[in-house]
Amino acid sequence: MSVLLREARFLARDRGAVLWIALAFLLSVAATGFGIAEVREQRATIAELLIEDAKDRANAIGQHEAWGDAAYVAFHLTYAPPSDFAFAALGQRDTAPWLHRVRMLSLESQIHEADTKNADFGLIGRFDFAFLAAAIAPLLLILLLHDLRAAERVAGRHDLLVATAGKPSRLWLPRAALRFAGLAMALLLPFWVGAALEGAALTKVAAGSALVLGGLAIWWLIIEAAGRIQATPPVLLAALVGIWLALALLGPAIARAAIEAQTPVPDGAEILMLQREAVNDAWDLPKEATMRPFLAAHPEWQSLGQVTKPFEWKWYYAFQFVGDQKAAPVVQAYRGGRIARDRAAGMAAVLSPTSLVERGFERLAQTDTAAMIAYEDAVRAYHAELRAFHYPMLFRDPPYDPAVFAGLPDYTPPQ
Amino acid sequence: MTTALRIAREEWRLWARSRVVLVAALILAVLLAATSAITAGRVTEEAAKRTARQASAEATFFAQPDRHPHRMVHYGHYAFRAPPPLAAFDPGVDAVTGQSIFLEGHRQNTAMFADTRSGADLGGFAALNPANIYQLLLPLLLIIIGHGVVLRERESGTLAVMLAQGQSGLAIAGGKALALAGVAGLFLLPVAALAGFSVASGEAPLAAIMLVASYALYLAVWAALVLAVSLLVRQRSVALGLLVFAWLLIALIVPRLGINAGSAAVDAPGKIESDLVMLAEQRKLGDGHNAADPAFDALQKQVLERYEAASVEELPINWRGVVAGYSEAKLTDLMNDYAENRMRREAEQSRIVTWFGLASPTLAVGAASRTLAGTDLATHHRFLRESEALRFDFVQGLNDLHATKLTYADDAKRSSDPEAEARTRVNAAAWRLLDTFRFTPDPAAERLARALLPLAMMLGWLAALAGVITVGARRLKP
Repeated sequence: MSVLLREARFLARDRGAVLWIALAFLLSVAATGFGIAEVREQRATIAELLIEDAKDRANAIGQHEAWGDAAYVAFHLTYAPPSDFAFAALGQRDTAPWLHRVRMLSLESQIHEADTKNADFGLIGRFDFAFLAAAIAPLLLILLLHDLRAAERVAGRHDLLVATAGKPSRLWLPRAALRFAGLAMALLLPFWVGAALEGAALTKVAAGSALVLGGLAIWWLIIEAAGRIQATPPVLLAALVGIWLALALLGPAIARAAIEAQTPVPDGAEILMLQREAVNDAWDLPKEATMRPFLAAHPEWQSLGQVTKPFEWKWYYAFQFVGDQKAAPVVQAYRGGRIARDRAAGMAAVLSPTSLVERGFERLAQTDTAAMIAYEDAVRAYHAELRAFHYPMLFRDPPYDPAVFAGLPDYTPPQ
Repeated sequence: MTTALRIAREEWRLWARSRVVLVAALILAVLLAATSAITAGRVTEEAAKRTARQASAEATFFAQPDRHPHRMVHYGHYAFRAPPPLAAFDPGVDAVTGQSIFLEGHRQNTAMFADTRSGADLGGFAALNPANIYQLLLPLLLIIIGHGVVLRERESGTLAVMLAQGQSGLAIAGGKALALAGVAGLFLLPVAALAGFSVASGEAPLAAIMLVASYALYLAVWAALVLAVSLLVRQRSVALGLLVFAWLLIALIVPRLGINAGSAAVDAPGKIESDLVMLAEQRKLGDGHNAADPAFDALQKQVLERYEAASVEELPINWRGVVAGYSEAKLTDLMNDYAENRMRREAEQSRIVTWFGLASPTLAVGAASRTLAGTDLATHHRFLRESEALRFDFVQGLNDLHATKLTYADDAKRSSDPEAEARTRVNAAAWRLLDTFRFTPDPAAERLARALLPLAMMLGWLAALAGVITVGARRLKP
């Protein structure tokens, strides 16, 4: 105990060390604070839009008197709310859309709509807690620990200290451990307060804290290994910064380029072109060309599937569906390619503690690629429900009764 | 001057003999060469691909069969944003924004399928391009090799000898500055080569030269910072620690804090959010598909008076087409109001971020570099505006056909009468009304004008640091 007290006194007098730890604390407060402000704003946006959306839909339906028209004008809000942990890692939410308004038309023409925020945000990136813990904290740890031995060596005390300590570990371990703990606490305390404010699940907070500590521990080992080299502090620091660059920046960048070259995804614009050609050609094609594939997928409407007039709503919505069907193989390839890339990135991340911590945080926060794809799947499922709701009216064409729309399916966000 | 040169030459000789310096410089040079070649190749290919797609989209539009003109309004068209030549150096927002927009009637779509959406997610800064390397890594190299320029002399005692020989502190600082400038100049070669390459592929020389100048200025700021610290601090390890800390703050932390601040200070609604608000307003404008919508009563009265007709059936033009054109114009005004508002707020956010350049030359050089390269947010906004103008032109051209080439009687019956439907098809030769679209960024002079603020910020840094160095050099003691 007295060893720790002594080291704590040393630490308090080491102005450099106190500065790095104080900086870590301030950055953690800023990252957590901005993160919470952002997710609260996103939640407020969703809550507000839900009200506006219902109002707009009621208003739109009220202006029409045919099933087909009402289905055409009624939009439905879909969204992926930020999780209770999203404040710590905004992840893909800055580049991937998490809001849509869909209607009965071809889904592929709607779901790729990119509701991205300011492009500069996605380009430069946010300062969120995950970035702080994954990329900045290791550098601070390097600054704190790199010259423990070397500084004593420069001061000429090294050999004397080692000799009097008996075992070298009794000297260096408490000194390094105290700095490590100081940095970890400076990072985690604001994070814990933020998590409490957001009501984040305890298991997630524990897992996030473990990620921070685990990531830092790996760096501690690296610094420890490098510290044994007989070199002056500047040379050590330069070498460690080089290692940081390789692991935090170059490694992930090269891995990413390699993964993207190895796992191609189809050009997204192709989805749109296919869908659009299919939908627009349908106007000029014989009606059977649309109804045959539609009825093959929906045998329950076989008996009501005849189109006699140049325009009928059921035919109109049928070719919207067929347009999606035509694009489906490319859509599948696009989705599959993204999942494959994400899986490969997950494996490559093992090589970089920085990527590992950041991806871990994004997974806990449900702001990773998988969560974004889950959201898209939820929108697809909802669109299917919507079609299932409208088809009976379009095919059977009962007398128009707007009260039926009270039974419109509700969207449930993915969990 | 010869003294300065002699001091600088001595420094270069020393660096050339140092393995750390050589290895670091070599790794960076290889990295820079590789990324430059890869990025230039990718961007050139991408530019050719998008230009070809633009041409093929136009050809497909022209090749459409005889149709009702309103079908063509919904058939729509594409606008592609081909990357400008300097994107080979700084691709900028290209990866984030998506490169093509689907243009159709009654809607302003967003640019879709950004690379980042399908990218492999490896966290923070997993995208390398030449601009990134210049902004993030070259300062580190200058720090690693330069933090000891003056301290080395102090530690080995040669500083005392030099001062005793009558060299002024200023001459010593000048020599050291020259030494660092030499290294920075050497590392400007790749950007200069890429700039030359871009001029060969059509970029304005002014933009290319200013881009190189921005990075020269940026590296000068870092070299000055390194020299100042080496001059003022008395311990090598403290100097290096301080400089790494400054790099951490300037290159990694402040830019991102600027983003947080911009996002928190200005609430820029996303498109889906503002579309919802707009839609409520739009419903008041009336549905352009429904010529009987009461919203068009006033217009009807006006048109009937102009043609001295008693009813829409008697008009020499197709009333449905008139309504389509009228409501498209009204709707476009409304959509443009919302789009302009959204873009204005985004520009405000980015302006706040740019002001953080006062605290971070990295942020400033990034803004200047993207602006000069024509890959900044403002250029993307320009693309959105130009593609909107293209959309409005062809849609209104088609609505004009709808009003003048079709009879009202046929048009009204086309949903129930196949013969009337056949008569509402317009000859496909009319599709030639679509303008060809080739996106180019602002002229170089305008881009330069926009880049002046961040450039001035870097000049301010350089002036301030030069002042510090002068004062420090005058007081230089062993």
